[in-house]
Amino acid sequence: MSQIEAAAPKFKLTVSRDVTDVAYRLLAVALICIALSLVSDAFLTANNLLNVLRQASLVFFMASGLTLVILTGKIDLSIGATVGLSACVAATMIKSTGSSWLGAAAAIGVGSIVGLGNGLMVTKLRIPSFIATYGMLWVAQGATYYYMSGQSVYGFPAGFRALGSGYLLGIPIPIYLMVAFLAIGYFFTKRTTYGQQIYAIGANTVAARLSGIPVNSRLNLVFVLSGAMAGLASLIYLARLNSAEGDIGETLTLPTIAAVVIGGTSLFGGVGSLFGTFIGGLILTLILNGMNLLNLNANWQPLVTGLIVLLAVWLDMKTRSKTDSN
Amino acid sequence: MSERGLAQSMSVLGRVPGVAFVLVALVAVFASMSPGFSTAPNLTNILLQSSILLLLALPMTFIIMTEGLDLSIGAVLTLGSVALAAVALATGSLTVGFIAALAIGLTFGLLNGWLIAWLDIPPFVTTLGTLGIAQGLCLVITDGTSIVGLPSGLQFFYSGYFLGIPFPLVIAAIAYAVMHGILYHTRLGTYVPALGGNREALRHAGVNDRVVLAVIYGIGGLMAGIAALLLTSRISSAHPTAAIGMEFDAIAAVAVGGTQFERGEGWLLGTLLGVITIGVLRNGLNLLAMPSSIQVICVGLLVIVALFFDGMRKAHE
Amino acid sequence: MKNAVVLISILTVAGFAGPATAADETIAVFTKNQTNPFFESVRVGTANAAKAVGVKLIQYVPIKPDSIPEQTSQVEDAIVKKPNALLFIPVDYKAMVPAIEKANAAGIPVTGLTDRLAGGQVVSFIGAEDYRLGFETGQSLLKAMGGKGNVVALEGVKGSISNTDRMKGFNDALKDFPNVKLLTTQPANYQRLQALQVMENIMQTHPQIDGVYTANDAMATGAVEAMAAANRKAFVVGINGSQEAIDLIKAGKMHATGSSDPFMQGCLGLLTTVRALRKMPVQKELMVTPVIIDSSNLKQYDVPVTSRVCPKIEDVAAK
Repeated sequence: MSQIEAAAPKFKLTVSRDVTDVAYRLLAVALICIALSLVSDAFLTANNLLNVLRQASLVFFMASGLTLVILTGKIDLSIGATVGLSACVAATMIKSTGSSWLGAAAAIGVGSIVGLGNGLMVTKLRIPSFIATYGMLWVAQGATYYYMSGQSVYGFPAGFRALGSGYLLGIPIPIYLMVAFLAIGYFFTKRTTYGQQIYAIGANTVAARLSGIPVNSRLNLVFVLSGAMAGLASLIYLARLNSAEGDIGETLTLPTIAAVVIGGTSLFGGVGSLFGTFIGGLILTLILNGMNLLNLNANWQPLVTGLIVLLAVWLDMKTRSKTDSN
Repeated sequence: MSERGLAQSMSVLGRVPGVAFVLVALVAVFASMSPGFSTAPNLTNILLQSSILLLLALPMTFIIMTEGLDLSIGAVLTLGSVALAAVALATGSLTVGFIAALAIGLTFGLLNGWLIAWLDIPPFVTTLGTLGIAQGLCLVITDGTSIVGLPSGLQFFYSGYFLGIPFPLVIAAIAYAVMHGILYHTRLGTYVPALGGNREALRHAGVNDRVVLAVIYGIGGLMAGIAALLLTSRISSAHPTAAIGMEFDAIAAVAVGGTQFERGEGWLLGTLLGVITIGVLRNGLNLLAMPSSIQVICVGLLVIVALFFDGMRKAHE
Repeated sequence: MKNAVVLISILTVAGFAGPATAADETIAVFTKNQTNPFFESVRVGTANAAKAVGVKLIQYVPIKPDSIPEQTSQVEDAIVKKPNALLFIPVDYKAMVPAIEKANAAGIPVTGLTDRLAGGQVVSFIGAEDYRLGFETGQSLLKAMGGKGNVVALEGVKGSISNTDRMKGFNDALKDFPNVKLLTTQPANYQRLQALQVMENIMQTHPQIDGVYTANDAMATGAVEAMAAANRKAFVVGINGSQEAIDLIKAGKMHATGSSDPFMQGCLGLLTTVRALRKMPVQKELMVTPVIIDSSNLKQYDVPVTSRVCPKIEDVAAK
């Protein structure tokens, strides 16, 4: 029983941690922005900032569902492959029926089914999430290849494409969507029992189970949400690129995980926030933007990303151990 | 010792169903469906193809037993290969090149160990970071191109024979024997599962767990350096993305082999079987001329099915 | 006529190789990945030709796109299966040389396709001059721009032979147009999403872009989408002659695509391989002439790959 009591104050601590974590990250973003605006005239323009936010939105949609999974202490390696499969199914659906709504339903449906598969493997078959979702990565990827048989599908209705490339009051539509999902996500994780239970499972699964939280059904839920968000991301992808082919998801998974980690969510679970993930994605996008603006060799990009991942987490360890000792 | 040995053999028997069952089933299916499968040249072929992966999967077993992970090992192997080729080309000496590969491997291994043990950065994040660094270095050094024109003696290490046995198999066998020796017959070996299952107790016993962790990750890097020699020899060149992603194959092999991701339970023979199972699957599907998209799905199913059997066995216990 | 050829070929094969008849010939085809439509067109071309001359095909495609260790393993596995010949697109033109040397040692004839290997023995090589393709596609772009203005270039995977040659061709074409300024060259790894984002970023620093040269069609479509979303216009060219690019040209969103006709490469590759097996004369090298597809000649190339037809086997050597 003492474990349950231990879990409760731990959770309170995470809230205050969130605030400091996010503050540090905003500071980092500000520093990057100042540095970039000093070296490139083009950086600090409304156009470019909107451009950066629009690019960051794609990362955010993929990373937000993943954040929920990681908050429970699990991982989802199938995220890129799920984006690929959802995109390809949705693309064919839109082309064959002409209905964007059916396409959207297909993308989110396929994503949710893949997510449910992940969840059931973890909760029912007791396969560690790392391995279960790695297996799913191959299955989803293979299904995509089989489905597409080397072709690409392209040319969607203008109404659908507005989702990715349209503007409303001068601001790209994906940015509105991102802000909306950030708000919903904030409410969901911080203001609902579900959200608190997700944090509690990550902080201490055994204690969460003992205190009556339906751990398995919450785990299934986060995996389904992760898949559904990947489905949503695939729609943004389709709407922006106006085209789908089998290799969409291959290079997306590790950068998405990096965005979550840079955003301050702990891979042990229980610590982190969606807002942090948003900033993590923003930092990664800013790096690419800066390198393009300065005409730097893109070969340096993985190296810089790697260093930032290490730096972000190291600083977190530093500041958190201070918070803990208070 | 004898008690430990007995417990070991019991647990070995208890583990047999998962991976061995899958392996036997695959061999039976492929042998009956493809005449070329069960020939001596093809079986040698499978073992040769598995040798590089085994060199990564062995230390990965240790690392996973400590509840760790090494995502950087494929990129470090690639960087080792790039370093080997670049240095061998510059100095004209394969030996110096090989030493460079080993040095790169060891450096990255110890760097991982230091970040994990001393700075307390979780293994997943640490090695995700060093993966990026190693991959970036590969691209920057080569500017994306293959390095060729290496001394011809290089080919021996993958295609040569030692006492009639293909050289990579000799290397793999030695690596297996050494890692088996370390895990089951040294004090370091007893620390490995304890690091995963009961780190506190280890600390109380006065063991410097940080040094042990650094050594384990260091071994991983060193093995990646040795694997770099085989890979470079196999393709007579170095390519900046040649082994990117191989870390996941290694982790899958370890998991398929029955090593647990928690509680420090691991099984080196299982890893060997896991590596061979993956090799047999890929080879058999190629011989059956299975379409590539179906092959992709089969690899995923293998991982899930093997782990499913393991879960069933656990449920029975 | 056709019957006569088959008859002759059966006689020659029977004379040389004993048990093998036309129906027993198996050819292993190696391509780089199963995601790029270019290689799908190659595979469709080989299948089309194989059906016409009655040989069996095995397609080997790495399950991780462009994986060197994997294609190496696939060659080793194919050698176990002993096909009559290999038709081979290397994932890397240097790193795959040892694998082909193994096939040479096993006595299996190899026909090179699309990317020329840096070593090993091949019976014949069928491909297109990527340099010429890059040069002519670039020329078409620079002429469309009226020989003046600003151009940006998006590169494919650095270090790949196709990218190196296509970029070299473009840069040489640029030399004849002193009034065109190359603003920047950035890699987007032959990928759509990267091309879109890189293009979006480049547009921030360069308010006036008149032309975009990309080393493949996937990047071209990414650039087209980026320009369209920003309400900007430029001449965009790509390479591969994909159906998608043809449709974009038809819609007036893209200027041109340089085609090395992957379908025809597949046809010629397979037919040459079979000719060699049947002891018919083959050319050491067979290059597909690059075609620049733009609005002027669009019609004749706007035909789905699956309904195209390969040339006849007896016509191949003459070409």
